[in-house]
Amino acid sequence: MEITLKLAQLDPSLRAGLAVLFRITKKRARLYLGILALFASAIVARAAETIPPKPDRYFNDYAGVVSPVAAQRFNEQLAQFERETSNQIVVAVWRTMPSQSSIEDFTQRTFQAWQVGQKGRNNGVVFFVFVDDHRMRIQPGYGLEGALPDITCNEIIRDGVAPRFRANDFEGGLSAGIDLIFKAIRGEYNGSGKTARESGSSQNNPAGLLIFFFVLVIILLAMRASRRLGGYRYTGGGGPFVSGNWGSGGGWSSGGGGFSGFSGGGGSSGGGGASGSW
Amino acid sequence: MNKGLIGCLGIGAIILFVVLVGGCAVAGSYNRLVGLQQKVDQSWAQVQNVYQRRADLIPNLVNTVQGAANFEKSTLTEVTNARASVGRVQIDPNHAPVDAAKLQEFQQAQGQLSSALSRLLVVSERYPELRATQNFQNLQAQLEGTENRISVERGNFNSAVQEYNTAVRTFPTNLFAGMFGFQPRPFFEAQAGAEKPPTVNFNFGSPAPAATAAPTP
Repeated sequence: MEITLKLAQLDPSLRAGLAVLFRITKKRARLYLGILALFASAIVARAAETIPPKPDRYFNDYAGVVSPVAAQRFNEQLAQFERETSNQIVVAVWRTMPSQSSIEDFTQRTFQAWQVGQKGRNNGVVFFVFVDDHRMRIQPGYGLEGALPDITCNEIIRDGVAPRFRANDFEGGLSAGIDLIFKAIRGEYNGSGKTARESGSSQNNPAGLLIFFFVLVIILLAMRASRRLGGYRYTGGGGPFVSGNWGSGGGWSSGGGGFSGFSGGGGSSGGGGASGSW
Repeated sequence: MNKGLIGCLGIGAIILFVVLVGGCAVAGSYNRLVGLQQKVDQSWAQVQNVYQRRADLIPNLVNTVQGAANFEKSTLTEVTNARASVGRVQIDPNHAPVDAAKLQEFQQAQGQLSSALSRLLVVSERYPELRATQNFQNLQAQLEGTENRISVERGNFNSAVQEYNTAVRTFPTNLFAGMFGFQPRPFFEAQAGAEKPPTVNFNFGSPAPAATAAPTP
């Protein structure tokens, strides 16, 4: 008890804390409000940044430069590659870069948001293409910087992809790029025969769902009990939580006639790789 | 009498409860601070790694450029000098700096190397036969990749430090953070002029700026 009292005499922030407890002066209240507003605006500013949502495929042609058949083929190729080697390669083709920032900054933040690569291995690669900007970038995760150093990324872009893109052969360019990346990183890691999504990684673990349901049931019970106690009559035909869609949440798993779905394994990147133009 | 005893026991129980909860809270915050500090140290090691990577590229770059017919000597000297002064500012790679002045010095030395390198790349535009060589192209790709890695790792370091500093300075934790030796850490500040593109100075007659005085390790 005595120690805390002494601390109160010494530490100004404790006094500030006590002041909060015992009714604050108006001036101080304004200061705290100001700080709160600052934090709020910072959060809003971050939220305003446009990071594209996680893709659900390996090959994502948002620009429509390759035929659906080829896109499907690339996607299966990339999924198969993950099964064999555990390396996750994602290809994303846009018309223009969906950000005002530099290409390196945008691709870094996107890579981190998509979590490409397995968690412990960080063995992901993302091949970004911005068709109308005539820019592209190959970015490996930490775990593939050795197999896919900047020089190799640069060579793949310069000698393999750019000449074909220049001739408007996007399918050929992407195919060459994918093959060259395969060639560079094959053998670095061994696969488990399954993709991260097929082996049901941490992305949608059942424990989380179970807890969610548990909490939901408690809330519903509490609501019902309080209604009964309060004497309100329950008339609505089902609260906001009734639909049973959660059960099918893990839907995409192994390709039952559809496409092989991608789900990031939690990998991260340190900004390696190379950018190029054509 | 009996009532008084129960009351005393009750108060005792409440005090015990408060002490226990308080102790748990302090232990929890302490562990959290340790974790955050470790994250800061870890990301500092990464920062050192990528800066070292850049420093390691320089001898090769200098050799390649020297081979080009009459390449600007002063630009090369500047890079070599900056590289040397970077080597003189040593910070333990496993522990993030506590002293803001030390980090400032480190940042200044590295900043000088950055600007010397970008000047070298700009000057190299005037030597098309040099730029056409495979070796130079590779070095350029590596340099660009490394610069990007540096900015990524600096960003990671800054956010780790910010998280740690926030924990050290905010209300309940700050009461004992100092007692256990958790001090706020300095972080990289955007360098004056770092966001501007390098200015090209065509007056190469002047000697390279002297390296900042650095204490010998």
